[in-house]
Amino acid sequence: MAVFALRRLALLLVSLLLASVLIFFVLRLLSGDLAQVIAGVQATPEQVEQLRHQLGTDRPLLAQYLGWIGGVLTGDFGRSALSGVGVSAELRQKLTVTGPLVLGSVVLSVLFAVPLGVLAAVLHRRRLGLGITATSQLGIALPTLWVGLVLAIVFAVWLRWLPAQGFPTAGWSRPGRAISSLVLPCLTLALSEGAVLLRFVRSATLGVLSQDFLRTARATGLTRTGALLRHGLRNAALPVVSILGLQIAALIVGAVVVEQVFTLPGVGRMLITDVGNRDLVKVQGEVLLIASAVLVIGFLIDLVHRLVDPRLRVVG
Amino acid sequence: MHIRRLTPLLLAGCLVLAGCGGGAGSGVGGGAADPNATVSVRLLLEPTSLDITKVAGAALEQVLLDNVYQTLLTRSADQKIVPLLAASYETSPDGLTYTFRLHPDARFADGSPLTSADVAASLDRARAADSTNPNAKDLAAVTSVATPDPRTVVITLGQRDTNLTYALTNRAGAVLKKGTDPATLDATPNGSGPFVVRQWRRGSAIVLARNDNYWGEKAKVASVVLNYIPDFNAANNAQLTGETDVETAPLPTLLDPIRADPDFTITQGITSDKYVLGINNTKGPLADVRVRQAIRRTLGVVGLSKILGGTYKRIGSGVAPTDPWFQDLTSIDPYDPASAKDLLARAGFPNGLNLTLTVPNIYPTTIGDYIVSQLKQVGIAVTFQPVEFASWLDKVYKRGDFDLSIVDHAEARDIGNYANPRYYWHYNSPVVQDLYRRATTAATEGERDDLLKQAARQISLDAASDWLLNPTDLVVLRPGITGFPTSGTSSRLNLSQLAATSKE
Amino acid sequence: MTGVWRSLGGRIGVVLVGLLLLTALVSLFWAPFDPTFIDPRVPWAAPLTGGHLLGTDGSGRDLFSQILVGSRITAFVAATATAMAGVVGVGLAVLAAVPRRAGGLVGQFIDVLVAFPTILTAMILAAVYGGSVWTAVVAIGIGAGVNVARVTRAEMSSVLGTDYVLAGRAAGASTARIVRRHVLPNVAPVLFVQLSLVLALAVLAEAALSYLGYGTPPPTPSWGRMLQELQQFVTVHPLAVIWPGLAITATVLGLSLLGDALREATDPRLRIARTTHAGAHPVPRPEVLP
Repeated sequence: MAVFALRRLALLLVSLLLASVLIFFVLRLLSGDLAQVIAGVQATPEQVEQLRHQLGTDRPLLAQYLGWIGGVLTGDFGRSALSGVGVSAELRQKLTVTGPLVLGSVVLSVLFAVPLGVLAAVLHRRRLGLGITATSQLGIALPTLWVGLVLAIVFAVWLRWLPAQGFPTAGWSRPGRAISSLVLPCLTLALSEGAVLLRFVRSATLGVLSQDFLRTARATGLTRTGALLRHGLRNAALPVVSILGLQIAALIVGAVVVEQVFTLPGVGRMLITDVGNRDLVKVQGEVLLIASAVLVIGFLIDLVHRLVDPRLRVVG
Repeated sequence: MHIRRLTPLLLAGCLVLAGCGGGAGSGVGGGAADPNATVSVRLLLEPTSLDITKVAGAALEQVLLDNVYQTLLTRSADQKIVPLLAASYETSPDGLTYTFRLHPDARFADGSPLTSADVAASLDRARAADSTNPNAKDLAAVTSVATPDPRTVVITLGQRDTNLTYALTNRAGAVLKKGTDPATLDATPNGSGPFVVRQWRRGSAIVLARNDNYWGEKAKVASVVLNYIPDFNAANNAQLTGETDVETAPLPTLLDPIRADPDFTITQGITSDKYVLGINNTKGPLADVRVRQAIRRTLGVVGLSKILGGTYKRIGSGVAPTDPWFQDLTSIDPYDPASAKDLLARAGFPNGLNLTLTVPNIYPTTIGDYIVSQLKQVGIAVTFQPVEFASWLDKVYKRGDFDLSIVDHAEARDIGNYANPRYYWHYNSPVVQDLYRRATTAATEGERDDLLKQAARQISLDAASDWLLNPTDLVVLRPGITGFPTSGTSSRLNLSQLAATSKE
Repeated sequence: MTGVWRSLGGRIGVVLVGLLLLTALVSLFWAPFDPTFIDPRVPWAAPLTGGHLLGTDGSGRDLFSQILVGSRITAFVAATATAMAGVVGVGLAVLAAVPRRAGGLVGQFIDVLVAFPTILTAMILAAVYGGSVWTAVVAIGIGAGVNVARVTRAEMSSVLGTDYVLAGRAAGASTARIVRRHVLPNVAPVLFVQLSLVLALAVLAEAALSYLGYGTPPPTPSWGRMLQELQQFVTVHPLAVIWPGLAITATVLGLSLLGDALREATDPRLRIARTTHAGAHPVPRPEVLP
């Protein structure tokens, strides 16, 4: 197990490095440069050139890359050339919105997808089960952004229970208002991604239901529910855990859209703005963060898989 | 000798005593102004930096000029140039020497006196050969800045420049303390204005606090919170729920809920914004003036103004109502699609032509959609390309690679762009260039204005661009707010007269 | 084919997808109004007034016509992006599965690419080339293709390890031949399943990309961009947003139902599984002999 973990960790590190290289060099393809944006429309070409020198964007690419990655390894993501603010500081600040958003959505989606998915599987021939399945089918087809818009219309414009957009400028120091700003966005993501999760839970449970060991368990006197709970779920958990990993990755991306719909000051919206400004140092940091999060989650899922699945462990 | 006197701006005449007395001057609502008030203002565009010597953008000027940093001269509410840090100034008869006498009490927020050395250092830094100041060009005619004594600044020009006094009201004329390190400007601005920057919560708000060391009439409010709310619905909501006291730049099409509430006042002022349909004057069919005229005659912008909320004016030239040489030239190339088709045919395009329209995506696509829809009626097929602002700067502005483009030229007094053949429109008219040159070196402002009016007319006759709309400056105020600027608020927000009664 | 029709889901799927294709086809010849025609006289007209079935938007453009013509973009992007995902997916999978050492590196590369959200690719492409239909197609094609590659590669590896492939290699068959005759046909069902999923996801992705501004530029109508344009006025005209959202949902629903039905109808393994349920009359399964 330890050997596997170490090997997998090495793989993770290589992936992260590859990702950083990819990010850095692909972004340099972008047209338009930061110096011109800062200097504005009134500046002369000489002024822009000088600014480029000040920003260091006229150095050879490899030197710039090494400079950047060296900083990243020590936790310093650099400073935005446009605002002079440290990228890590800004990321941390924006994560106070995106973090709870993603976390809240994961929790909500698991809370509603797992029980309903199991129910749909157990009752798959009854009307309730079919109803849940059909609804989840619909849920998958609903575009996340539309769900967000409709929820905003119902709960914010018509009922006025919750804010339609934005996040309190005071941040988490006013927790009540902060949470109410995140309710609709979390709900939106949870409904959309939860529907997908529900389907997987359902099919995994169905798969387990028809397995032999369950029949054996029932033969030993357990009720169907008991057998399901004691033995079935543990086996169903495995594929669900992998899917959950992929879902979290999808949620991180879905957060970009939801942040736009509800104008939340999170990492996603900041990314869109920064790409528009060609503030490459910031974009690099943000993209690296997102890609790393996904890669690390994949790594953790693999480890969990390995731990939980006895078959894999035997093979070594 | 040409002497300018102090204006009421700096007189200590109308003080409002704490707690007692009625509200000063006109305004909405009665009651005493509260000197400890905090006024919350919604602004649209947040600056990316507070380094006024380097980073371009109206957002910085909006926050900093007149409030935190000051200039020798400034603009009054009705766009006249008036003294500020300079108590008075004189111009030599040949127009080459300007002598400014600084206000004796002028000092910075940290208490240190503001002297001619500071003024000279700021001006020299701005106009230096390696200056990063986006408005450095404004001081091109200046050959030297002398400081015969701590209260006097003498600016010498190589040739007359009728734009100098205006330039000094802008960023190039901002006075910073001598020896300020630009790297610290983001964190610790030290200006001479009635406010200081107390806090900047990036992505949400900048808090200005009253400068208790201010050398003139102190600010009437204790602090102003500038809330950056880019979303128009959120901004409306903030105003309706009382989270903000003032909402600038509301979206005209969303104003119904505000209008429905009788307590709110919506002021209307003028702006220097010009939504210009830029035409590449040297590209293919567009080099023919008849094609350009045809385009102008097809775009009846009354409909566009209606769709955008009705608070836009047609302008017939590249001159906004804020400029002294403004005149109504909308009679040139008025809406006439039939004659447009005729012009196209005579220019050799009876079956229309294909053009691209490149627009930065910071503007609503409605305007571009409208242009496409209108030009289709006369057979001009337009491919609409929204691009990011940085791409626009590179492709259109720097390399001139475009057919048509829409940009809001927000600066006032920028008719000089049409006298620059290298500007991205590639409009090259020796007549206009000559008129502009003479206007810059004119002996009097009246002469300058006449010459520029002629230039504007020529530019319009040449259909160098089409000038679509000039927005009306809209500001929503809650009852009890007085002294808030009403014109040009997107680039200049002088808060020195702002007062507020306490909210019920 | 009849297998698809048998299930209710399949039937709904066929109807909805058929509707989409029909709409796209009809829009080539006819629409009640020119969807790009801005008419300042009738902004925000209510449905069923002045010939506007669903009303108009803020610029007086007919909503129904916009949805009609927008179906073209949806159909096009979905089909093309899926095709591209297939090509990219199979191509990368072959490169990763077949060569011994280099394959490992390609596999690693695939795993890293998977971590890149499609939105990011679209953002960068749009920043370099401007938003367009092709930006959406390429971004989705790459994003989905990489995921397809990952699944397909696993399948390919297992096929390559089977006895008859090894025998083929021993007999001297060239790699290309083996890939063509054994690997691809065996991988096809898995690939097919993946691509049917991609089809539905492509529609959702296109809507999201257009909403963010990285897809079809104006004035060509696009359902995603309609949502973005209408969103601003939700406080004063909330109902207009319903129509494009409904169109997207119906299309995705149709595609995924159809995909499910096709999968069930063609995959024999699933057919058997469907007839075996715990709690029903137990049918003895082949492996379990008492």
